[in-house]
Amino acid sequence: MKNALKFIGQTFLLWLIYYSSTWIVHVSHLPIPGAVLGMIVLFTLLSVGIIKEEWLLTATTPLLKHLSFFFIPIAVELMEWGDLFIQKGHLLFLPLVISTLVALLTTGGIVQFLLTSHEMKEGER
Amino acid sequence: MQNVALIIFTILITVITYWLSRKFALKTKNALLTPLLLSTTAIILILKYLGITFEQYKPGKEIMTFLLGPATVGLALPLYINRHILRQAFFPILIGIISGAVATLTTAVVLAKLSGLDSLIVTSIAPKSITAPIAIEIANITGGDPAIAVAFVVFTGTLGSMIGASVLSLCKINNPVARGLAMGVTSHGQGTATILQEGQMQGAMAGVAMALAAIFISFIAPFYIPWLLK
Repeated sequence: MKNALKFIGQTFLLWLIYYSSTWIVHVSHLPIPGAVLGMIVLFTLLSVGIIKEEWLLTATTPLLKHLSFFFIPIAVELMEWGDLFIQKGHLLFLPLVISTLVALLTTGGIVQFLLTSHEMKEGER
Repeated sequence: MQNVALIIFTILITVITYWLSRKFALKTKNALLTPLLLSTTAIILILKYLGITFEQYKPGKEIMTFLLGPATVGLALPLYINRHILRQAFFPILIGIISGAVATLTTAVVLAKLSGLDSLIVTSIAPKSITAPIAIEIANITGGDPAIAVAFVVFTGTLGSMIGASVLSLCKINNPVARGLAMGVTSHGQGTATILQEGQMQGAMAGVAMALAAIFISFIAPFYIPWLLK
């Protein structure tokens, strides 16, 4: 019971940050998602110490654990697009697979290269 | 009254299907059988069988996704908890994340365009490596379709989870920091969960990469995606 109230209160705090960020994005016509501004605002509030991480853990732990639940109702809309995937499915294969390999190797390769040359420099000193 | 009953019914179907598919996925531990994929397929089949249209499902969808925004804001918390990781090698990490995120978006959009796909699909494919809640928002801003974007996000997440670790090993990328970041940039939450099995360090890196890639791409997407589509 106490945890349920804690969950509701903490979720309300997250909602408040989300709602005000969305509002700021809306009135200022910033072309970024409200949720992204909300993340930046929350990160800043945590860094400055205005919000403590313990104040949010009861809400964020289950919310993030079940984050994929929220995508189900959104993905159900695909029932309207079924034909499209059947007709064009084969055309999607190449862009999806190649760009996945590109992401893995670009990030992995660059970071490994920079970190090894970084360590070698450290060793020379 | 009939409408209220239908809304409650669609919500119940969704929650129960999610609950069952989660149990099933936890038991089988197959990267291909994610709760999202299983539930979405099952729900679409159930709705089609019962003759319920998406229009009728929509009111329930609005209620169920109410907490998605606040939950997305909550992603800042794991990023904050792992902030010390960033300090170790700030620039290599940042450069790696940004290059990977931009490279994957660019190849996906350019190849989709060259394949002759409709501009709605090309726009929706762009945020495919970004974590779903933010990919949806990016699709909304750039004129893509959120549901199609989610489909691409899930496909990429699943593919990366399945082949990511082997591809990295094959190309001799063995540094745990590099492996974690690569998986986070490529396959967001699904990749993070997979590479976490290799170690805490890899998992934390992937989480950081996923959050920073999402923030960076949402800043450039409104300008960069229309430019690529030209």
